[in-house]
Amino acid sequence: MSLNESVQEELEVLEAILMDDITISYDEKNRPEIVKTTIFPSTADEVDKQYVCVTLEVNLPETYPDCEPSVQLKNPRGLDESTINNIQKAIKDKCMEFLGQPVIYELIELIRESLTESNLPTCQCAVCLYGFSEGDIFTKTTCFHYFHSYCLANHLVITKRLFQEEQDKLPAWQKSVKEFQASCPVCRESISCDVEELKSALPPKDLESAQHFQVTSDLKKLQEDMRQLFIYQKNKGGIIDIEAEENKLLLITAGDGDSVEVS
Amino acid sequence: MAALPRRIIKETQRLMQEPVPGISAVPDDSNARYFHVIVTGPEDSPFEGGLFKLELFLPEDYPMSAPKVRFITKIYHPNIDRLGRICLDILKDKWSPALQIRTVLLSIQALLSAPNPDDPLANDVAELWKVNESEAIRNAREWTRRYAMDN
Repeated sequence: MSLNESVQEELEVLEAILMDDITISYDEKNRPEIVKTTIFPSTADEVDKQYVCVTLEVNLPETYPDCEPSVQLKNPRGLDESTINNIQKAIKDKCMEFLGQPVIYELIELIRESLTESNLPTCQCAVCLYGFSEGDIFTKTTCFHYFHSYCLANHLVITKRLFQEEQDKLPAWQKSVKEFQASCPVCRESISCDVEELKSALPPKDLESAQHFQVTSDLKKLQEDMRQLFIYQKNKGGIIDIEAEENKLLLITAGDGDSVEVS
Repeated sequence: MAALPRRIIKETQRLMQEPVPGISAVPDDSNARYFHVIVTGPEDSPFEGGLFKLELFLPEDYPMSAPKVRFITKIYHPNIDRLGRICLDILKDKWSPALQIRTVLLSIQALLSAPNPDDPLANDVAELWKVNESEAIRNAREWTRRYAMDN
């Protein structure tokens, strides 16, 4: 069997297994060039429980499988850099191990296993800046950003309250005709969530064990530098004197209508 | 006072461990929600060479509502008024909890590089900036030299 035939056979098998989930592009000589598929964790077809995904792109050199293909991971979602790096390292090892044999299906399985193991966003919640621990209840927005449900609820409740407070300050003719629209803290995309349901979530685990703030000696040094600069600038008249500025009134003289600034 | 939220502690630690170039923010001894800030004037701006002191306060609702920031050092800028108040959308209606102390201060530093006299807070400054930009820039440079330089 020629090289070409063995590759052809490998791709046929992949197409038979993955069907529409795989795309194969060919070069002008009709040689298969790039194989692409998006991989999700195995969650027994429960799509809403898939929190991470990544697109695998395999570039086949003419001499494949006798030499290793070049593999790229694209559009990772919910995965941090170290997780991606680990998967990449495992891919490299797998390619070496399977030199001379078809490897693409092996790669897909390897990535799927890694995703299933870490089917928990490894990125940070942009609201509390902490990660997601086992047992934390979190929400995936339609724009694929992750928040602890507890944090997202806080965001939605408070931004709605602030919006209302701003509206209440305005005279009737200036009030916005638009209703409050919740938006994603990361990308400002409009989102709609059931706040009541989110509110029932417990705070993230990492937040519970509160740690105290401590003033270190480095901090003391910085505070002192700041103080010195303040004194230096104050002596040069460079510090804004709020009281003096506020007391600068605009005096309208009765006669000519000119305004004079007095201190 | 209630315990300091962990998010604030985390931001403070990161500001100390990985400081943003040209920006330093240090919490106050007695109030960890109050930060003493120095922003250095950006290169190729009339504020170059200046060390500008600001104060930054994290309100009770932070990070759901924006930090309150004000210049303490005098500065000649169309979007900063005589009281040091700053006209910047992310400090008002464009605030998002995904922003942080460091991103706010970077935005303020960027505002120094790109004054916007069409959205003024200091009207006299903005007016001059529009009718006679070179004189306005001269003023800004002079104020920087007089008030914000550290010899």
